Amino acid sequence: MNLLLSAPKGHELSEFLFSLPFNLYGKAQKVNGHLCVTRGEIIVYIDGEEVDRYNFNDFDEYACEQLIGCSMMVGRINDRSQRCICAFSQDSFIAFAEVCKIINHYLTTGILVEQSDIDEPKCPKCGLPLDGYSECPYCASKIKTFTKLFGRVKPYKGVFAIAILCTVLSEVLNVVSPYINRILIDDYVQPQNTSHWLGFGVLCGAMFLILGINTFLDWLNLKCSYYVSLNLGQDLRQDVFNKTLELSMNSISKKTAGDLINRVSNDANKLQSFLTDNGKNAVVRILSLLIVMVIIFVMNWKLALLAIIPIPVVLVVVKRLYNVIHMYYSRVWRFSNAHSKLLHDALNGIRVVKTCGTEEAEIEKYRTASEKWAKAASKAEIVWNLIWPFCDFMLTVGNYFVLYFGSLMILQRIPAFGVLTLGELIQFTTYVGMLYTPLRWLMQLPRQLADVSVSASKVFEILEENTDVRDDAECVDLDIQGDITFDHVFFGYKVYNPVLKDISCKIEKGKMYGIVGHSGVGKSTMINLILRLYDVTQGSVSIDGVDIRKISQKSLRSQVGVVLQETYLFEGTVLENITYAKPDASFDEIVQAAKIAHAHEFITKLPDGYNTRVGNKGYTLSGGERQRIAIARAILHNPKIIILDEATASLDTETEKQIQEGLNELCKGRTTIAIAHRLSTLSHADNLIVLDKGRLAETGTHDELMRKKGVYYSLVMAQRKTTKMREVTGNPNYVH
Amino acid sequence: MDKQTLTEEKFEIDLLVLLDCSKLHFYKDKGNFISLEYEGNTYFNVRLTRLVPFYSKTTYISVAYDNEDNEFREIGVIKDMADLSEDQFKLLDEYLEYKYYMPEIKKVYSIKDNSRGFIFVDIDTTSGRKTICIRDWYSNFRMLSEKLLYAVDVDGNKYFCPDIEKLDRKSLATLEIFV
Repeated sequence: MNLLLSAPKGHELSEFLFSLPFNLYGKAQKVNGHLCVTRGEIIVYIDGEEVDRYNFNDFDEYACEQLIGCSMMVGRINDRSQRCICAFSQDSFIAFAEVCKIINHYLTTGILVEQSDIDEPKCPKCGLPLDGYSECPYCASKIKTFTKLFGRVKPYKGVFAIAILCTVLSEVLNVVSPYINRILIDDYVQPQNTSHWLGFGVLCGAMFLILGINTFLDWLNLKCSYYVSLNLGQDLRQDVFNKTLELSMNSISKKTAGDLINRVSNDANKLQSFLTDNGKNAVVRILSLLIVMVIIFVMNWKLALLAIIPIPVVLVVVKRLYNVIHMYYSRVWRFSNAHSKLLHDALNGIRVVKTCGTEEAEIEKYRTASEKWAKAASKAEIVWNLIWPFCDFMLTVGNYFVLYFGSLMILQRIPAFGVLTLGELIQFTTYVGMLYTPLRWLMQLPRQLADVSVSASKVFEILEENTDVRDDAECVDLDIQGDITFDHVFFGYKVYNPVLKDISCKIEKGKMYGIVGHSGVGKSTMINLILRLYDVTQGSVSIDGVDIRKISQKSLRSQVGVVLQETYLFEGTVLENITYAKPDASFDEIVQAAKIAHAHEFITKLPDGYNTRVGNKGYTLSGGERQRIAIARAILHNPKIIILDEATASLDTETEKQIQEGLNELCKGRTTIAIAHRLSTLSHADNLIVLDKGRLAETGTHDELMRKKGVYYSLVMAQRKTTKMREVTGNPNYVH
Repeated sequence: MDKQTLTEEKFEIDLLVLLDCSKLHFYKDKGNFISLEYEGNTYFNVRLTRLVPFYSKTTYISVAYDNEDNEFREIGVIKDMADLSEDQFKLLDEYLEYKYYMPEIKKVYSIKDNSRGFIFVDIDTTSGRKTICIRDWYSNFRMLSEKLLYAVDVDGNKYFCPDIEKLDRKSLATLEIFV
């Protein structure tokens, strides 16, 4: 990312390491300011005049704070006192955050990074946000993208070639038909010649033959096209899905689940239909356009010019009119959407509406929304019915010229244009009519091409992405004992916002460790790093002395068991969900695991026992039951390291007790790392790791830390106070 | 901590505390952040929030701070900043204008739809003319009431027009298709 954007008035860019313009200061007044960084100092300029100068060491930490309408860069001392250095509108946030990150890195390591390594947040060409894409999908080279896209037809090239051949032959036959028509009119219909029935019969037979061949070609074409289309779609979807599962959490979390689902299904489908439909059409339509052009110019170039000359102007006008229509219809879509939302809201919340007695207000709201929708739809229809016939007329206006001048030529009124027979005129106008089909298609083509190229870029980005958490070439399959070491670990999900700062600690094998701290302090992040869902930014995490980046991911994750707060059950039976991590487990092992997890009892009470389907993400089961299945899954997995991330947080005390027994069985003799909001759950842990503001605040047993009266002590006290207050107020819902 | 104190604490949190403007003394600390002296207590770096930012800029202002455990604590709510002294009003108003920096739309020149979910809106604002790019414009360029237009651009910058009916006819006609 470029952090040397512009220099303050009277200064040169070369004087600074980084120089970023900012536009707000003091009283939300617009200013022309610059924040400049040299090798050791931060200088703030307003209109070229220096107003503030700081040494890097003046503050402990630099950060960017996002306010409501703007952001500011602040310097902090001891997390309590802070100073606003400058302020800016949100578009500059990432650049300033990157500067903060670089200076913070200097403050902790003494190394000043002079070049930012993060990607530009926006496409430098079109200015649209890149949203995690390495290349702007709107500006990616269309030729490159389409070459890659057509490359995917290769395995089916034979069948695809047959489909193209069928379409080409069909088009050629379509060109022949008007010629036969002309002969029929000129030689048999117009002269009313009844003595040549044989010739007439042959021509009629030829027409039928063409029809028959065309039908066969269409059938063959359809069959081949479907074959290619379905296989190609399947290949694309499968490849995108495989690659998505291979990607690191870092890459995946840049995209939403909806976006990924879209890429696997919608984008891949769009490419599938484009390739087989438009890809084939592109060849045929262009070919047909050229053939028809040549024919009409050969027949009569003057008439041909009359037919073609208005087309470019008409296309421009029609395209604009289409855009107007599009706008009106998108407005209708918006109002219809608002109407549906309102309907959904009112009917879902009907109990609230009834109990509040707001029926009339809701009826009025609905009437307004419905009226707006109807008005917008009626307006769009009016516009459509006004514009569409006009567009169609304009598009085919050349044909009217041809008819007018052609008729004059038949009547021999314009000798300069030559003479024409009725058959020739009909043949000519049929060809001119045939010009409009590919032209209409061509008119839609840029929009379709743009649309498909965006889908293609998105799909290929996933297919070609190099996952950043990947197995090292020399990675090993380690038989894990369970010793874990964090060595000066720094990590942030966003580069400018470190979550863990300089964490160093040892977790001994076979012992239970609890990680505690306020929410958002980085507890789950430590677990994500042990699972290697992300790679550390700095430092290392090692297991049994081996850096986890040197351990194969499969080997690592097959020996770590996780029980999360919210258990995700897949569509399927109880049995399938327990054996998810070990599909080859024997039924004896499965029942044994379920018994240890205290799940066997409730499973036997289910109507179909272990074969009971847990559809809809398992919501047919209670939270406790789902959790017990997760524990059984973890027990069956037989891991060396157990991770419990708020495993019992969402359960009531009674269920928690039952689950705890299962968990105790699970953790016996294994390295266990637990996170729990209820600190009492962790009081029996062998050791506690206390995090505060992303840093390791203290470690020790519960008793040691209570005696120390540090961060853990205040956490425990705060929680006890809340519990007591609940007793005093008698309100179990009161949350501290 | 006895039962009485705990019960009082509960009331402090649960009930709306309207602050007595005559007792409030806000001042800027060294770091340019607002601190408060109120009823013998000093609160450093207080958090001022417009509770209804789109309907009123100077009424119902929440005054809060983060305690040592970084937990949110509300001192109370200023019902109307007009009850503050002139200099106190100015101090708070300047800070809030800064926090809620949101240029007002004065004119709409054109709106271009790139048909891929983005629109480019050429506007004149209190902070100058600008073409803003809006993603998912059905959500980010919309009317919050019959008159109030609210826009959030791809960078997160916010813009508003308090009453679109007061815009010139050309701007209204340009907006009509989109809102």
